[in-house]
Amino acid sequence: MLASFDTHLFWEALSSSPYWRGALTALELTAASLTTAVVIGFFVALGVLSARRSVRSLSWIYNWLFRATPTLLQLYFIWYALPQLWPGFAGSWFTPFMAAWIALSLNEAAYMSEIIRSGLLSVDAGQELAGRALGMTRRQILRKVIVPQAVRIVIPPTGNEFITLLKLTSLASVISLQELLTAAGNLATATFLYPETYLSALVYYLAIVSVLMVIQARLEKRFTWTSGGRRRRRVGAPAVPAISHDAR
Amino acid sequence: MSMLRADNVHKRYDDVEVLRGVTFEVEPGQVKVLIGPSGSGKSTLLRCLCLLEEPDSGDVSLEGRRPGRGEVGMVFQRFNLFQNMTAVENVMSGLVAVRGLSKAEAREQAVEFLQRVGVADKAAQYPDELSGGQQQRVAIARALVMRPKAMLFDEPTSALDVELVREVLDVMESLAREGMTMVVVSHELRFAHHVASSVLMMDAGRIVEEAPPDEFFASPKEERTKRFLSLVE
Repeated sequence: MLASFDTHLFWEALSSSPYWRGALTALELTAASLTTAVVIGFFVALGVLSARRSVRSLSWIYNWLFRATPTLLQLYFIWYALPQLWPGFAGSWFTPFMAAWIALSLNEAAYMSEIIRSGLLSVDAGQELAGRALGMTRRQILRKVIVPQAVRIVIPPTGNEFITLLKLTSLASVISLQELLTAAGNLATATFLYPETYLSALVYYLAIVSVLMVIQARLEKRFTWTSGGRRRRRVGAPAVPAISHDAR
Repeated sequence: MSMLRADNVHKRYDDVEVLRGVTFEVEPGQVKVLIGPSGSGKSTLLRCLCLLEEPDSGDVSLEGRRPGRGEVGMVFQRFNLFQNMTAVENVMSGLVAVRGLSKAEAREQAVEFLQRVGVADKAAQYPDELSGGQQQRVAIARALVMRPKAMLFDEPTSALDVELVREVLDVMESLAREGMTMVVVSHELRFAHHVASSVLMMDAGRIVEEAPPDEFFASPKEERTKRFLSLVE
């Protein structure tokens, strides 16, 4: 059927050091960016829900800025324009990885803030009322009652964001980050054997996402509040606004 | 001095004036039962009494001063147990967060209060795994463990299946017997008859009638009360 498929090259690529390292870089960048994005996104979400108009406006502008512009443009801007605006970014510490981390974190935070906001809103208002009746402060209620319950709602869409980000890391090849797709591209150009080289890259992406899905399932179980940890009923799908990733 | 007192309390939400000057007081150990149609301001009055809502004007006082954190206990219609905590953790939560007790001390007291309301065997269960009656008893323990000076109950049995109402009312009755000062919004008229020091009728943001239960039910004075009682009974 297949005209030619060099199985040997396929396995060799799969176990080669540029692939390994590229995959590791992609995974590191994804994990680092998502973690940072969750932190920033949490505060932007609180900002969107703030009673103060000025804080709400700032948060809205943040989301608007990072969702309305292409991720690729943001990457270019951080990598090329930022060092010209602030010489501090021209130092040797400002590696392609750093630039990609900053760009993807800021970008992803806008999407995470929407997810976290709807998670926070999904927690029944009676929970806060009960906390206040006991005399807890707003911060205590948020930390001990609201956030743990919102986590359960936020996990599945965050899993999706992880997958999206993992794929977005390949964009960072344009600012010379040596990630997985760069490794595949280099080998493809050197050997002219496209099926073997790209298929092995594909295997890495699939493997990473599969591991993530296992972790996600465990986390969901961990944040389901029954004593056996067993799931008795599914929590209804959260009202997460439909976000199109195609344009990113 | 009265234990808990509301003095000419007004409260409005946007265009709706929910409380139009409510004055009433509860003496130590008294149980006052509030009845009235929905929207008459009963729940809002309770929320003002425990400062979940700040009155627009008028004063709320506990022993002559502003109530402190957790000093007025509140029990809600829909229990509002923290879904991410077990029964015992729910009861511990206020002691740890508000009273600053260690977890060990808090747990010890929490178990004791769960025993008092008869759900100690459910200590390790999550709210999701408890019946409505059990959840409400845990909620009562969660409020009681804070040693409140007064307890407020906002329709504590109206979200319960009929056969579970009794177990919650029993707990409330024994609390009343022990001398707890209570304000109860409820349409359990038998409970009101049995336990209340006086019954209050609310309508359109005002208290229209207050009397000891015998008098209140046997010979209500106000037309509004008569009409309401004829519909409820």
